[in-house]
Formats: sequence, C-alpha cells, structure tokens
Amino acid sequence: MKIDRRSFIKSAAATSAVATATSLFPGISFASWKQLEGATGMIRWEKAPCRFCGTGCGVLVGVSGDRAVAVKGDPACSVNKGLCCVKGYHSVQALYGKDRLTKAQVRKNGKMVEVPIQEALDIIAAKMKETIDKHGKDSVAMYGSGQWTIPDGYVASKLFKGCIGTNNVEANARLCMASAVTGFLTSFGVDEPMGCYEDIDYANVFITWGNNMAEMHPVLFSRMLAQRKRRNDVTIIDFATRTTRTSQASDKSILFKPQTDLAVANAICYEIIRNDWVNWDFVNKHVSFHKGKTNIGYGLEDKFKFKDKAEGIDFEQFKTFLKDYTPEKVEKMSGVPARDIRYLASLYGDPTKKVTSFWCMGMNQHTRGTWINNLVYNIHLLVGKISTPGNSPFSLTGQPSACGTVREVGTLTHKLPHGVVMKPKARELAEKIWELPAGSIDPKPTYHTVAMFRALDRGDIRFMWIQVTNPMVTMPKLKRYRDGALKEDRFIVVSDVYPTPTTDVADVILPAAMWVEQEGMFGNSERRTQHFDEIVPPPGEAMSDTWQIIEVARRLGFEKQFPWSQEEYIGKIWEEYRRFHDSPKHNMAPYKVLKARSGVQWPFVNGKETRWRFNAKHDPACTSGEDFHFYGKKDNRAWIWARPYEPAAESPDQEYNFWLNTGRVIEHWHTGSMTRRVPVLHNAMPSAYVEINPEDAADMGIVNGEMIKIISRRGEVTMPASINGRGVPTRGQVFVPFFDEKYLINEVTLDAFCPISKQPDYKKCAVKLEKA
Amino acid sequence: MNRSERNTSRIKLGFAAFCLSWVLLALPAVAADNIPYGFDSGGEKIFTRYNETPFSAMSGTDGRRNLNSFYELRQYPGSPPRIPHKVFPSFSGEQADCIACHGRGGYDVEQDTYVPVTPHPENELCYQCHVPKLTDELFVGTNWLSIPPPKLGNSQLGGSPPPIPHSLQLRGDCIACHTGSGAVAGIRVDHGSRGNCRQCHVEFLATEPALEFTRNK
Amino acid sequence: MPVLAYIVTPRSGEKNKLLKELNAMQHCEALSADNADILILVTDTPDKETEKQLEKQLNKIESMESLSMTFGYNDELQYKGEGDGHEDR
Repeated sequence: MKIDRRSFIKSAAATSAVATATSLFPGISFASWKQLEGATGMIRWEKAPCRFCGTGCGVLVGVSGDRAVAVKGDPACSVNKGLCCVKGYHSVQALYGKDRLTKAQVRKNGKMVEVPIQEALDIIAAKMKETIDKHGKDSVAMYGSGQWTIPDGYVASKLFKGCIGTNNVEANARLCMASAVTGFLTSFGVDEPMGCYEDIDYANVFITWGNNMAEMHPVLFSRMLAQRKRRNDVTIIDFATRTTRTSQASDKSILFKPQTDLAVANAICYEIIRNDWVNWDFVNKHVSFHKGKTNIGYGLEDKFKFKDKAEGIDFEQFKTFLKDYTPEKVEKMSGVPARDIRYLASLYGDPTKKVTSFWCMGMNQHTRGTWINNLVYNIHLLVGKISTPGNSPFSLTGQPSACGTVREVGTLTHKLPHGVVMKPKARELAEKIWELPAGSIDPKPTYHTVAMFRALDRGDIRFMWIQVTNPMVTMPKLKRYRDGALKEDRFIVVSDVYPTPTTDVADVILPAAMWVEQEGMFGNSERRTQHFDEIVPPPGEAMSDTWQIIEVARRLGFEKQFPWSQEEYIGKIWEEYRRFHDSPKHNMAPYKVLKARSGVQWPFVNGKETRWRFNAKHDPACTSGEDFHFYGKKDNRAWIWARPYEPAAESPDQEYNFWLNTGRVIEHWHTGSMTRRVPVLHNAMPSAYVEINPEDAADMGIVNGEMIKIISRRGEVTMPASINGRGVPTRGQVFVPFFDEKYLINEVTLDAFCPISKQPDYKKCAVKLEKA
Repeated sequence: MNRSERNTSRIKLGFAAFCLSWVLLALPAVAADNIPYGFDSGGEKIFTRYNETPFSAMSGTDGRRNLNSFYELRQYPGSPPRIPHKVFPSFSGEQADCIACHGRGGYDVEQDTYVPVTPHPENELCYQCHVPKLTDELFVGTNWLSIPPPKLGNSQLGGSPPPIPHSLQLRGDCIACHTGSGAVAGIRVDHGSRGNCRQCHVEFLATEPALEFTRNK
Repeated sequence: MPVLAYIVTPRSGEKNKLLKELNAMQHCEALSADNADILILVTDTPDKETEKQLEKQLNKIESMESLSMTFGYNDELQYKGEGDGHEDR
C-alpha cells in the first residue's frame, strides 16, 4: 500500500492542526489509533493463552463492547508472570486485518464465488462422499495444525479415524515436533517433558542447543536472564550454528558446523565417562543401554519405508562406541575446539551444578532429529540430572497447541487420543468411547505429512481439508506440492482467517473463527492445558474449526457421534476426550477446573498438578518405591542410545557451496499471515532477507540490501542481502526467515526427513548464491 | 443571529508565526555601523551564551515529548511503545546499550533530547517488547480500534490529588515517568521530591470495573 | 483541490455528537482529542466552489462553538501555473 501524494498532504494538514492544538492547549493528546465509538473507557479483562508460540503465556484480553481493545500479561499465570513479548502485546490486532475472511467461497468455473457457509458445507460433504465412493476411504485426508484447539483436533480424529475409518489425519506439528515425540518415546516411552518452566528458577547452567530462544521464546529467555541477574551463579551457553541475539546475551557462544551436534553430544558423553563424572547410583538403578539401526537414509524417495530395531547393549559396549568421539576427533568434524567440548562436559559433569538444556527446531528439524534428541537425554541420564528442579532436558514447542492437540489428542496418522492405531487395545478403547462398531478403526497408519502431500501429487489422495495452517508456504521443496495441489481432479478445502498462498489453491474456503472468537483449549510445552472462552464474536459467517467439522460430520450421517449443541459442545467434547487419559500417568483436569485457572498441568491427579514426572516426590504415577521411576518403558528404565554421527542429506559441494538454514524472527510468527497484519510488527520487520557472513559477502562483493539469487537443485528465490544484521551466520552458511510469502524460501529447501520421526530438515541443504 | 460571523475566526498560525519569531531573534546580533563591536562585553557574553545554548538545555525539556507523541508510539493505553529512534541494525547488542540512556535519563547529545526513563529496568531483554519502525507502510490495512487514553486531572474534589488512572503492572515506578526532564510535560509533577506517591494518589482504574464490596455475615 | 485543517471547539457536552456529524459529512474527516474538548477537522474538496459550499454547511452546525483554520493547501493554483496563490485574497 503506497501513500499517495493526496493522503500525504492530508496527513500533513492533520499534523499541523494537532501541533497547533498542542501549543494552544498543553497536555492535549490525540491517540494514533482510531477510537471505538461510544466506548466508555471501561474494559473487562478475560483470560486466554497467547495465540502464538508454544510457551503458552497467559494474557488478559481487554474487551470493550464486542471488540478486543487491549492486552496485558496475566500476573496469575505461572508461565510468564505478567510479562508478554511484542507479539503477545499486539496479538489482538491480528483479529482486525482489513482482509479478514468473513464469507465462504467456492470455486465455480475457475473463479472463487462467495456463497452462504451452509452451502459450502453441503458442497464439502457431497465431495467427500463422492471421493470416498469413487476412490476409497483413503483418498480423503485432513491436514491440521498445532494451532488447532484441542476440540478441533479431537473431532477431526473422531470423524476421520473413527467414523470414516481412514488414518489420513496429519498436522503441521509433524514439521515441527515429530522428532521431539520420537525422542521422548525412544528414550522414555512416554511423550512430553518431565520438567517444567519452574526449572528455570533453580538451574545454574542453561545450554541452548541450536535454539535462538531470545527471539523464539523471549518470555522464557528473559526469565533466564532475570535469574542470572538475581542469583550470580547462573551461566548461559549458546551452542549454535549462527550468531544470534541469544549468542550475544549468553556468557559464551560456541559455534558448530551444521549436523555435527551429533558428534559433539557423543564427545560430551565420552568426556563424562573418561573423567568418571557418571552418576553410578542413578545409572545402575534407572538406565539401560541400547543401539539401533545405522545408515538409515533420508526419505527422499516416494514410498520410503523405515523401521528402527532396538538392541540391548551394556555399558562397556556403549563406552567402546564412544571411542570414535574423542574431543580431538570431534574438533576436526565440528569445528568446536576440544577445550570447549571439555568445558561443556565439565558443566554437565559438575555435581554441584544444576543443568537445563533447551532446544526446539534446531534439533527437531534434523534428518537425525530423533537421534540428537536421544543424545542430549544420554548426557542428562549419565550424570543423573533429570526430573529434579533445575535439572532438565527441555524440549520447547513452537506452536500454542502442538503438545495439546497434536501430541496429546494424537492427530497424526499412527496415533489415537490414547495409544497407536497398530495396537488392538488402543483401537478398542477409541471404538468404545466413540460408540462405533468394533473394527471401525483401520490398524494401518497411512501417510505422514510429506508422504501425504506426495500422495496428493500422485493422485492417491484426491480430497484434502486444510485447517489453521499454510502449507503452500511451509512445505519443503514447495513447487512439487503446490503443483500437486493444483492438479485436475484434486479438491482442496481451506479453513482460515486471511487469504494466504494456501487459500490460493483452494476449491472451497471456509471463514474460520480465530483464537478468542471461539471457546477452546491449547496445551503448551510444559504439559499445561489452557482454556479460553469465546471473548469476542467471530466476524461475519466465520465459524470455529470444530463446528465446521461437526457440520460436515452430521451431513455424512454421523449425528450419533456428534450430538452436541452449539452452546455446550466444547465442555462436552472435553469431558469425552478426558476419558482417554484416565490414569495417573496422564490424567487431565476437569472442564470446571480448566475454566477457573490460568492453565493446569497434567498429570492432574487428586486435584494436584504434576511438575516433575518420573520423580517419586512429585509424580503419583511412580510406583517402584525408588526415588525415580521411568515407568514409560517396559524395563522401568530410561534408555541411553548409541547413535552415531551421520552426514546431512545434502551438504555443500563445489557447485552448491553454501549451507541454507531457515527459521523465524521475533516479530513474526510462522508464515506471518497473522503477525504481518499487526502494524507494529510489520513496520518493524517488513520483509525477509538472506543473512550472509560478512567475509563471504566481501569475497563475492555483495553489499547490504543487494538482491541475491539463492539457487538449489529444487528452485530459486531472489531477496535482499543482510550483512551484520539481526544475526550472522558462520562462513559458508546463509540464513533466511520464512515468514514472507513474497520470498518463498521453501521453493529452495529439501524434503529430506528423519526416517524415524518423518520430520523434514529445514535447517540444512546446499545452495549457491548469485548476484541478481 | 449571524452564526458565520461568530464562529469563523480564522487564525493564521503555524509557519508564519514560527518564521517571524526566528527573524526577531536574529535581529540583535547585528550591531549598527558606528557602535564599537563588543562595547558592552557583559551584555554580549550573556547574549552569546544564550544564543549558543539549545532551547532544550535552558528549559530543561526539549518540548518534543508531549502526550501526543507519547500516544503516537502506542497501539492502546498501556501497550509497549515503539522505539522512536534509530537502533543498530542487529539491535542485538548489550542490554546496557538501552539502559545506558534509559536507565537514568538525562540529556542525550546525539539525539538532542531528554531521555525518558524506563519504569522496569529489571527486565533486561528490551527487544522482547520494544521494536523500531523501519517502514510506515502496512502489509494490509487494519480495522483496529481502541479506547481513549485516560483523561488528565480526574480529581474527585476540586484540587484533591488525582487518582492513578493506569495499571501499575510494569509501570509501578512513579518517579521514572512523572518526574525529571524526560517526563512528558503534561504528566510531570511539580512536587517530585515527596517520594511517597501513594500517600495521596491511589489506583483508580477507569479501565477496570470497581470491585463491589459485600459484607461477610 | 483544496485541503484545509481546522481546530474545532464543540459546544459544551456535544463533542461526540459533533464528531459524528462531521464524519458523516462529505469531504470531511474529523478526529477527537482524547483528553480535551477539541476536534481536528481536515477537509478535502475537489474544487474551490465545493469548498465554499462546505464552509457554509459547516457554519450551520448547531453543536459547533468555533472553527479556526490552521492549514491550507490548494494544488489547483500550484499546478496550473495560474499565479502564485495570492491573487484571490
């Protein structure tokens, strides 16, 4: 939007009048925002979790009439204790972008036409029926998100897995959290962190593994900084591939070459054992050693299959395995000086220090994502620094309900709200609660996210319903999947709040209620379930994603499974869902408790939240009589895994000579479809850029702001260079934030994934640079 | 009655008045031909000193910070303000960079202004909430509306101390914003030396409903 | 195409009414001070004739106490090269 000359003169006229008024009437003010007509100035404050990241800050939304007009941090919420970040403070402005979708649209003769939403829902139901009749039940799919509320994901799973009988349910959390899940399952047998944010108040050492927390989890990062200021005995180490705001705020920044975190983690274990810093009491009682398959591939080919196989080993075998990872050998691979590796090991090994490790996408978006999660748990397990206040290997989440909706409800192809589809018991429980005939649920998982979009391209999937996510910006190797979605005879339904590149490929667009325009729950990184009410009404015909699914389910003849009224459906769904988790390992709080509090942690047993799992003092599910009980695994132990270093799927070579790393910035959240409509955030970060190391830039004669073409074997994109800007990548590496739909960096990225978690690696592929 | 005569009093203000005042200021610097230059050295010294001293240094305020510019930087009453000046492109350096000026306030030569003081210096990660403005353009227009900021001078009785019209969350340090040369003129107090502010001023949030009192039986 | 800016004083207690009235009028955009009974009015008319008509209309508004111009601009005069903008004073 350009400001034309005329409006410039008008604003100059207004400014001059304001200036005159100020000089005539001192103290007069004209706020820069437009004022709500008839506002008394009275606000009512309603609690909600923040809409954006997985931290799960409690916010209070200020409401005047039927509009959200202000935000403050909720002092009653233990996550953020009254402080938000710049996105949180301006989050309510994301509801009011001018181009908000308020009416349903249907493609007729190639053009999108507005229709009443009930007509659009009829069309969706008819198309689903027709597709199932013609191509079978596995030709229809649901692709959701970690921004789905818990009821959204629950009804999606119930409709697709239960009623229709297809396991074609996936969510974008596959792109962000899958390796964390498989990491937890392989090491502990149950998903989600054992610790909680309170660990920050006790830890002496924080190590951020490939995690720019200062920008991506700023509220937690500032809690760390506050502890360092208060206690004097706190050290923060940033272990990363790029110098960021986190590196600069930390006490020490250690840089490593992409993918070599695997080797460094093993070298830390090597040093811990060599110096005998092992907590033998803990290891003998609570740990068992294992190895899995090696040379496991990268999933680049269609219909790639892989299944890991665990094999028990003893401590001596583990020690022998680590011989390849002496600090000197690893220094050569990783570029991390041996003395820094020894320093890291000494921090983990020092019995007087409590250590918390934080990580997020750096470890999860990794072709060996499961492995690197295992390796960091190895370190904590060897020294017994786990499940106690301040000792915490902590996997952070990027989306507000990646844990709540995707991991706990199980909106992934192999999962059910409790257990996996492959297990008869899990299917029976779901069929019982859902009142479905035995055998309704298919015992075979179908497609994980990348495979699902490949199936759409091939034509194995013909109908896909996409809710609360923007895959036409976020899928790696984007062109293939966009072309696939646009093919003849593919039917795409998109539920969203604003036009995006994904609504561009839609055949039906449903206007969705956003965040506090509906009742729902999110689940954050620390097992905290957070309820919010419908605080303001949704605009136009916009409808909650849950209700959209219920409407379609009823049209498909499943009234019995979806009987609730629009007044009370969220509460009823919650109480039905809760039946799946009826055990001290996973009990969820009742609806009434959720409504009253600013988030409640599970397991919620006998009215008490569990802050540290596996610790007998805190976790009522511990039954072994020992201090710790790792009840997730059959041997009642946590598993240490011998996982080797293996190279990335694609590394720089003579021609494609740079690593490409992608990620986020503090101002924008994911693809920016919400945050770019917030004036403060867009004004501060209007467009994406490519960060280049200053020496590389000098070698190539590139100056700041110059347009640079980034080329990979998949595609190319041209964007301005940023030298010594927000972050500085190491030599031979470039970094691009992915929020900007004008510069689609995922045209360039590679769709290689971790064979165990099936999560793609957005952090590593090979590119070359050219001046545009 | 002829209304148009009564209410159309067109005052020509703005530029003309400004220009004129500068012309007047410049005049005395030019001495007449037959008077020896610098004959009244005291007078000249005083004038030169006056002439060289910036307005802001003399008045103890730059006059640029007023309630208007204050709310210009905010999206609703109580939102974290934008950063109205240039910051390093990385804006990732030491927290000390911000606190160097915004910790204590005072006159900043580089920006020729008096610096406002942060009411919450314990929060070190400044860019968590405060961001600069790199462009005026919007991605898409907005229908954002908010409530008016609180009015000044809400004394309950004539002359009685006005209540505090904003929440004290993150803004509990009265001295930081209501005293000193960086304070917005409209809300600066003239009795800053009496430190116990809440002796006379109590929280009365126009934005929040008053708690109803009920007696326990 | 004249653009003019005024400071407007409403009659006592009629600020919101006046604000609505002004914003409802063609060629007018008004904004209100947050903490004083003062409005700012910007008018943007296609030509001198409309501007004069508008001014007459403005003077008829009952809830208005006074109207003072602070800014004036007319690009008809500047772009057509017809004098220096002073000839019709």
